[in-house]
Amino acid sequence: MSKRRVRRTITLLTASTLALGIASSGVLLSSAGASSSTPGVTSNSITIGASVPLSGIASSYAPVSAAANAVFKWIDSKGGVNGRKIKYIRLDDCYDLAAVDASCTAGASTTTLSVNKVLVAQDHVFATVGSLGTQAEESVMNYLKGNGVPQLFVASGSIAWNNPKKYPDLFGYQPSYVMEGKIFARYIKTNDAGQTVGFIGQGDDFGADGYLGLVDGGATIASQNHLTYNPADAITGATSDVQADVATLQANKVQVVVLDSVPGFTTGILEIAHALGYTPKWIISSVGSDPTLVNTVLEDGATSLDYFPATNSNANPWVPWLRKVLEADPTDFPGFSASSVISGNDIYGAGYAVAFAETLKAEGKDVTRGGFVKTLERTTLATPSIEPLRYSGGNHQGLTGGAIAGVVANGTNAPQYALPTKTIFTTTDAANAPLTVVPKPIVQQIPAWLK
Amino acid sequence: MDWIRSLRSQDTTHSRFLVVLSLTVLVLLITIFLPPVADSQLAEGAAIAIVILGLSWLIGWSGQISLGNSGFMAVGAYAASIWAQHHATTPLVFTFFLAIVMGSLSGLIIAIPSTRLKGPYLAGMTLAFSAAISPIAQNFTSVTGGENGQFLNELATPKWFLHLFHGQNAAINANAQWSCDIAIVVAGVAFFFMANLFHSRTGRAMRLIRDNDVAAELVGINLTLTRSVAFMIAAGFAGLGGALYTILNATVNPSTFPLTLSITLLTLMVLGGIGTLSGAVIGGIIYSFSSNLVDHINALTGVNPDSNLGANMQGIIFGALLILTMLFAPRGIAGLWGPLRRLKKPHRRLVTNQEVK
Amino acid sequence: MHNVFAGLAQGLLYSLLALSLVIIWQSTHVLNFAQGAMAMFATYVGMTEIEHGVNYWWCVIISVTVGVLFGGLAERVLIRPLYGKPEINAIVVMVGFLGLIEAFVAGIWTGVTRNIPPPFSQIFFQAHGQVILLSPFVIFQFVLAISIMLIAAAIFRFTKLGLQLRASALAPEVARLLGVRVSRMLTIGWMFSAGVGAVAAVIIASGNFGLYPTNMNGIFVAGFIAAVVGGLDSPLGAIAGGLLIGLTEQFILSYWSANFASLGGIIILVLALMIRPQGIFTKNVERRV
Repeated sequence: MSKRRVRRTITLLTASTLALGIASSGVLLSSAGASSSTPGVTSNSITIGASVPLSGIASSYAPVSAAANAVFKWIDSKGGVNGRKIKYIRLDDCYDLAAVDASCTAGASTTTLSVNKVLVAQDHVFATVGSLGTQAEESVMNYLKGNGVPQLFVASGSIAWNNPKKYPDLFGYQPSYVMEGKIFARYIKTNDAGQTVGFIGQGDDFGADGYLGLVDGGATIASQNHLTYNPADAITGATSDVQADVATLQANKVQVVVLDSVPGFTTGILEIAHALGYTPKWIISSVGSDPTLVNTVLEDGATSLDYFPATNSNANPWVPWLRKVLEADPTDFPGFSASSVISGNDIYGAGYAVAFAETLKAEGKDVTRGGFVKTLERTTLATPSIEPLRYSGGNHQGLTGGAIAGVVANGTNAPQYALPTKTIFTTTDAANAPLTVVPKPIVQQIPAWLK
Repeated sequence: MDWIRSLRSQDTTHSRFLVVLSLTVLVLLITIFLPPVADSQLAEGAAIAIVILGLSWLIGWSGQISLGNSGFMAVGAYAASIWAQHHATTPLVFTFFLAIVMGSLSGLIIAIPSTRLKGPYLAGMTLAFSAAISPIAQNFTSVTGGENGQFLNELATPKWFLHLFHGQNAAINANAQWSCDIAIVVAGVAFFFMANLFHSRTGRAMRLIRDNDVAAELVGINLTLTRSVAFMIAAGFAGLGGALYTILNATVNPSTFPLTLSITLLTLMVLGGIGTLSGAVIGGIIYSFSSNLVDHINALTGVNPDSNLGANMQGIIFGALLILTMLFAPRGIAGLWGPLRRLKKPHRRLVTNQEVK
Repeated sequence: MHNVFAGLAQGLLYSLLALSLVIIWQSTHVLNFAQGAMAMFATYVGMTEIEHGVNYWWCVIISVTVGVLFGGLAERVLIRPLYGKPEINAIVVMVGFLGLIEAFVAGIWTGVTRNIPPPFSQIFFQAHGQVILLSPFVIFQFVLAISIMLIAAAIFRFTKLGLQLRASALAPEVARLLGVRVSRMLTIGWMFSAGVGAVAAVIIASGNFGLYPTNMNGIFVAGFIAAVVGGLDSPLGAIAGGLLIGLTEQFILSYWSANFASLGGIIILVLALMIRPQGIFTKNVERRV
């Protein structure tokens, strides 16, 4: 064939296949067999998902979603919510650090985004519930919003979740790091007035929000004592900044250090300080202070923020209830018995699982994404936390404060948040919003259908 | 496959255009039949293929080693992202163009001190550049968003495209398909340019410098200028790839383009085949489906994917593949078929005893 | 002032690695990208038993021995087939080797950081209430690193083996005529270099960072830059380069910000390559026409 004919043939073939392809694509991709128009929802089930760190530097958080899963299984064993069983798909995203974290077992090319794409485009989840990690979840906010998938009860205290105008389907759960910082600042003013204060935090919004809260709350931190580190670098040791940070604070004779990092890094920092013979007072963010991890390293204990009841006493009915639920799930909690310890992670996960289930029940038989969000904004939810969980059209943050609690180092494995008998503070994210005092913890009754 | 190789021997721009066009359309058609997750993976692979193309050009055709391409990707990515944040309504084409320009500029900056350097010294310079990107991005927070990085809006799927999809998951499928199509088209355009570059005066000058720089100078080619142009072109391609990658993922932060990515690019380029267009395509495809490949291998060898060994299989396989390829098949996969082209005499050899054995 | 100690201590680690790179370069003209990873692997093997109570010093000896053997093996298996091929081949193979080793180590031993109990206390000294960045462990670091360098220098300068090694690198044909087993010298050169690298890895693992698969990456980049800055032909230059980078990083850390510390090496590299592209300490190389 002549060159010209070859070219013409190619052009013709190209044009026709292109036209055919576009025309047929619609037909090929229409789905068959779905009985309702909301993804993830059928007449007898609802599928939700979460991107959580099941391995890697933040793997100590794995029990959070495991406990939530146990709650969902408990509910399913009693028939589900309005006849629907809840199916919870948890995928490992290694805190979005899979590329640099050798202890991650999810594969080096996994990212939070790739995991969420699987949840959305392959598993067709109704919503993500309890996905964990500040920077990890911020990186998928736009993807989920663009595909209409609600992002519920994000396990992080960033203020990014509280933006109802731009992200109407995005909800946080715990008090924000800003609120936490303000409460810590009040604590420092009352108990450690006049002492030098320093800060070590992750370089993402976790650390940034925490520092902001401290400053808003009136704490004075000299600029050379405000230190942040990049989690990815801290894992690979590319820069020695974590070690340098601790040494710097020691050299500057800082007496009170606020620490905003996940337990994997928290223990590292505490160990470095211990090796250097540096013993300041530690104030650790609620997410980094799990006593089962921290009290093996600390000799004098630390201070943190607590918004759940003490789990070593049955004063709050949610505690024995949760014990029943965890015992009933040997897959996620093998060997859990009456003497096992309920950690802060466990009750956190149970909290948002209960919130999800209660909202689902309140919405009724007809479940849609828009309807769920509206119901969530209107309903007061009864959960294990020591102050009520209430969302609204203008507030998507979630819990609004907590109590200063001591993390006791008594050498045992039993988590010993000192009973939060100290005052409970609540506040908002606004820079000058004051702290409101709530005289004592509120015990919310367990709904009958959950018992 | 013959079509791909014939790309380089096509004598006119017109015929090259047709070949690239038909190949692009072919790939687009294939993606329609793939599930949305695979489409996303392929889209990322297309972005990486563009970067590999630039790297292949630099190392294979101009003989300069660079370990800094992840840095150029970052420059393009941040440029695109910063622009898109403030000017959300700019057409995509302009954003890509900006990324190419910024990438090329950073290539020029690196080229200025580097063109006199050879071999390891050049590698060192580019390595340093690649390693410097992360601290720079972390610390100029007001511009780059610091550690948290930037979050872009999702690529908006046009309404007419959305209407082509039906069913419960129409929106999700449409979004994934559209992103993928954009990526493939951009890659097609990039490949078309590279095919033309090969035949141009610049391309020929580049190859002459690679093989015999003394002769090149005698012929009147300005070494420094041509080498710098090579760097700029490679960096421009990398910037485009980086911008595309970021637009697909809607996020960029200092950890998105680490030094290890430079190494991965090198690996993929070698596996595909240095200095070939099809090699870059193969490299991109391997990148897209590397996790699937590894899963298959894990299943075949009975390794538990959740164990530590299973999780690190990708690194083990890639490392081993790279070594084996370099030792036994240095021309990569693309070099495995077709007539064995006589390799031009390499520029520099290991300076040791030849009669070692 | 105490910054000087910390900077020099860290710089010595970079110098050790740079020295090992220079030894390999001088004998085989290969840039060993996997140098850090090989040393890390040796440390893992040596330190596996330390949790079971084996003496620290035995573990160090095992680590260095494994490192030496591994270096020889790498030369024989990976580099030997590449003589006469373009130099990029060797670079690429070592890069692949780097990835392979790191993934393999993470697969076998897990990527979790292992803390090796250090042989000397790491608590910093205090003088007049001021914290000096010097501790018994840092002193140990100084002593060990400098001893190894002196030993290496002594071997090269004063022993017959050293003479043979140098001859094989500078004038292989002549050396062969004089009866030197040149191919064996190449392998020994690699073994030597790997031993030096292993010492650096052992120090790093025993320090605050602990032992994990990527702990040598930062050291490698800095050591690489030090070798390039000092001139790949000059061991003295490599050592000086390493110290310079260590000091620069420490000063940036103290007076500016910890986040920029890693840029110290890069700044030095850019300056050095612009002033004298062949390296500060090399002799001038004639341009061959």
